[in-house]
Amino acid sequence: MTRLRAATRRWPAVAVALAAACAAILVAGLAGRSPSPHRAAGTGLSALPAPRAPAFTPGRPTRLGSTRELTRWAPVRAPVVARGAPDPGAPALATLSTRTPEGTDNAVEVLDRRTDGAGRPWLRVALPLLPNGTTGWVPRGALGGYQTVDTRLVIDLRTLRATLLRRGRVVLRAPVGVGRAGWPTPRGTFLVRNRLTRYRGATYGPVAFGTSARSPRATDWPAGGFVGIHGTDRPDLVPGRISHGCIRLRNADILALDRRMPIGTPVIIR
Amino acid sequence: MTDLTLGALDRDEALTEVVDELCGSTRAQLLRGAAVGGAAMLAALAAPSVAEGRVSDVRILNFALRFERLQAAFYTQGDEIGTVGRMPEPRREWAEVLGAHERAHVRILKRVLGPKAGPRPAFDFGAATETDLAFTRTVVAMEDLTVAFLTGVSPLLRDRAVTAAIFGLLTVEARHAAWGRHLLRRAPTPRPFDDGRTLASVQRAVARTGFIVDRPRTSSRRSPRFTG
Repeated sequence: MTRLRAATRRWPAVAVALAAACAAILVAGLAGRSPSPHRAAGTGLSALPAPRAPAFTPGRPTRLGSTRELTRWAPVRAPVVARGAPDPGAPALATLSTRTPEGTDNAVEVLDRRTDGAGRPWLRVALPLLPNGTTGWVPRGALGGYQTVDTRLVIDLRTLRATLLRRGRVVLRAPVGVGRAGWPTPRGTFLVRNRLTRYRGATYGPVAFGTSARSPRATDWPAGGFVGIHGTDRPDLVPGRISHGCIRLRNADILALDRRMPIGTPVIIR
Repeated sequence: MTDLTLGALDRDEALTEVVDELCGSTRAQLLRGAAVGGAAMLAALAAPSVAEGRVSDVRILNFALRFERLQAAFYTQGDEIGTVGRMPEPRREWAEVLGAHERAHVRILKRVLGPKAGPRPAFDFGAATETDLAFTRTVVAMEDLTVAFLTGVSPLLRDRAVTAAIFGLLTVEARHAAWGRHLLRRAPTPRPFDDGRTLASVQRAVARTGFIVDRPRTSSRRSPRFTG
């Protein structure tokens, strides 16, 4: 019993001695397995390989440039009443539908945004109504995701020319036919809402763009008298004042426009 | 009249739940939530889930590209509509820097993948980009999720050089998340160790946000009925 107590008292010292011996053996073993350059360098780290070169590295980050030339639009996700102010109690102006007369998703230009007293975001949008240029407020949730374009199409009713600009630079110019006397092409800022193609008939050429512009004279026209931008089967009449309000281009020009003008492009008729 | 305000609120509340979950969740919480979301939401992502381990580097990089595109689009939209511009200075700087980084990530991943790069999805961020708070909280959630994603997929990559590049992205994304958490007065490093998430769970989390949507249908073969 006395011997056992003496051994127990000595145990910490024995444990420390054993641990030191093990550590010495381990270090010696590791050193023995190390390649000679480690020992030669003294630190053992200099021969480690260099970091693996990455397969790619990002370029220089760039902050956003000016948004001055951008136009924002959004599809109408659910039928919604547009109001005169960003307030559920404000007077109703019209109901926005989710579809255009051509069956595509309705698209509206987003002009402004505001938050109401309850913290709900509202958007001011251009309404496809007469009088042209009417705007109204809709809840943010009524519209889908924002889309942006950096193009705009300018129609000059005096010179009978269309000019497409991207970021303010001219990318296309073409002569146009516009509304004849008594059927004027409306002035204002509108939106290209859709693109029709591969339809039957040659009257509208190979491609037609629907806009949010409405003819104040063609109110009883099928589908509401919306103004289109399209080709023609009478290129000899372009340029000229020849239509019921639509904007006609020669077929080669409308195809060139089709390659460069995205949906949502604002159309400025002046 | 259709009262869409309520619908919008419901949608945003659902989004907020996801954001809350991502901001402070464990993987178990995420998976519990994802199980409720179900397969329909998975369909929002073009890429189907695959068994981890059999996934190719290209597939991982393509999902990384998809995710980076989502983030880049979010920052860009917040900037373009003026939300970022109205933020107080520390947060404005943060959002602008992160936006620039994410756009750089998109550019390099697109270049690396070349013709194998997937198409750019369409996005609908709803009200998440409209206000400072919603924007900031969503960004932090996305950055946290990015860290978990890259942590999870890095060991699956076969090419060491690609792994090295992904580590380079991972550390930057972790700093984005920590910076945002600091600005929100949350712990920048809430845990001593970051769990990785599986590719499938990240796909589900992204799908649950509803940020990836179908493109608007703007073309038709109908005969025009314009004024002519």
